[in-house]
Amino acid sequence: MSTQAVVIEGLSKKFPSPSGFGEFAVIDALSLQISRGSFASIVGPSGCGKSTLLNIIAGIETYDSGEVRILTHDGGQSGPRISYVFQSPRLLNWLTVEDNIKFALEAHNIGRVGWDQQVKKYLEMVGLAGQARNFPLKLSGGMQQRVAIARALAIEPDILLMDEPFSHLDEITARKMRVDLMRILERAGPTILFVTHSLREAVFLSEEVYMMSVKPARIFKHLRVDIPRPREPEDPRLFDLEKDLIKEFFAMLEQDQQ
Amino acid sequence: MNKQTFLRCLSIVSFLGLWWFGSLLSAPEILPGPVVIGKTIIDNFTTPGPEGKSAEFHIVITLARIVFTFTIAMVLGIALGLIMGLRRKMELAFGYLIPIALTIPTLLAVFLCVMWFGFSEAGGLFAVILTVTPFVTVNLLAGTKTVDKELIDMARAFKANRGLLIRKVLLWQLMPYIFSAFRYAFGMTWKIVALAETFGLKYGIGYMFTFWFEQFNMAQVMAWIVLFVALMLIFEHGVIARVEEKLFAWRPVHAV
Repeated sequence: MSTQAVVIEGLSKKFPSPSGFGEFAVIDALSLQISRGSFASIVGPSGCGKSTLLNIIAGIETYDSGEVRILTHDGGQSGPRISYVFQSPRLLNWLTVEDNIKFALEAHNIGRVGWDQQVKKYLEMVGLAGQARNFPLKLSGGMQQRVAIARALAIEPDILLMDEPFSHLDEITARKMRVDLMRILERAGPTILFVTHSLREAVFLSEEVYMMSVKPARIFKHLRVDIPRPREPEDPRLFDLEKDLIKEFFAMLEQDQQ
Repeated sequence: MNKQTFLRCLSIVSFLGLWWFGSLLSAPEILPGPVVIGKTIIDNFTTPGPEGKSAEFHIVITLARIVFTFTIAMVLGIALGLIMGLRRKMELAFGYLIPIALTIPTLLAVFLCVMWFGFSEAGGLFAVILTVTPFVTVNLLAGTKTVDKELIDMARAFKANRGLLIRKVLLWQLMPYIFSAFRYAFGMTWKIVALAETFGLKYGIGYMFTFWFEQFNMAQVMAWIVLFVALMLIFEHGVIARVEEKLFAWRPVHAV
């Protein structure tokens, strides 16, 4: 049995260029392996193709060449279950909180029998047990994003994709959400691929950090964060790591320019 | 009683007052007063009218025609709007027909159908469906242009199948458009049904307009008009407004 959860080899993706002539490569020969149960972050500046990479893994974006394999715990017998938490909550505002979660369960053909229990379990996990019958627009932005996280966890995914999920929140809410996410994931443990432009967020949350360069996107640095959990957001070791990574990033940029 | 209700009552009372005052000044066969009309309406319910049919009979016939044609026009219009909105090729192929259909005057459509089908039930009902459906379609087509692509991507990422996508993501986003189509189409339907009844259909409220018009009985013509308007107002404000409130409960502010 493989211990990998996601294997990407030589992935390339071109978009038509904005000028209208020809194409440009957003992602070029990108390779990546993420081991089962780990929390991996991909860090890179805005517009470097991080979201495109997640969309390709989620199957909502096509790619031109290379290979993307998602390996399930039963060796690919069932199709992989992939969940996605987007930058904005992307909830169905006309459905109650619980029906939003049931939407994901229904989409994945999960038997109706366990729905109520599943909804209750994951709403409790994100601290919204009392909001099941409420409509999303009556909740704050942070609470809506929690519902999105509950929706993503409720299908008990093999892989959880997260695309800058806290970037639309104010820093205080975002910080609390990061700590809560860590706590939640101790109980529900899917493989996580987390995309962010914040090195601080990446080193605080992840076991593996991949740094991406811009145009075309490729991985230029892979780092393991060995600091045991639970971590303190103010842990000086995290600051040191962040500083080192920033240095490396700018060194890479200069190298590219020469 | 709040201020709004008070003002409304005041306007209704003053309208009735004006009407009554007008009726005093003119001959009863030109403008019968509100009391006479009220009595005529009650009489129509309590005593059988022409051919031994009571008022309820005509009301039920008209309502049945409205519900029948309205349902078909809504379902057809929504389906066509969705197909054109979601399939670009379909819109390119058939989209140009909509403005043509919208331009044909309603009265002409009724005439056309009478010429095609004769003075039959089918002809009249077909005319209604023919004129109402394009209005529903054009609304839905406009709605599909505003669908949030991010939500569609979300549904695709969670592997929702087409049926689930339409039921839980698309239709709800289109609900304001469906609803404005619903209101508009309903208003159109009852007017055209009445028109078709006036021109050719047997029985129904519109048929009674013609019947009493030919007898030159002003009190009866007005009694039927008042009854018709009252019925439709009850329908629009009692039924449609309630449905609307239920459907849009998820919105913090009612925008429609």
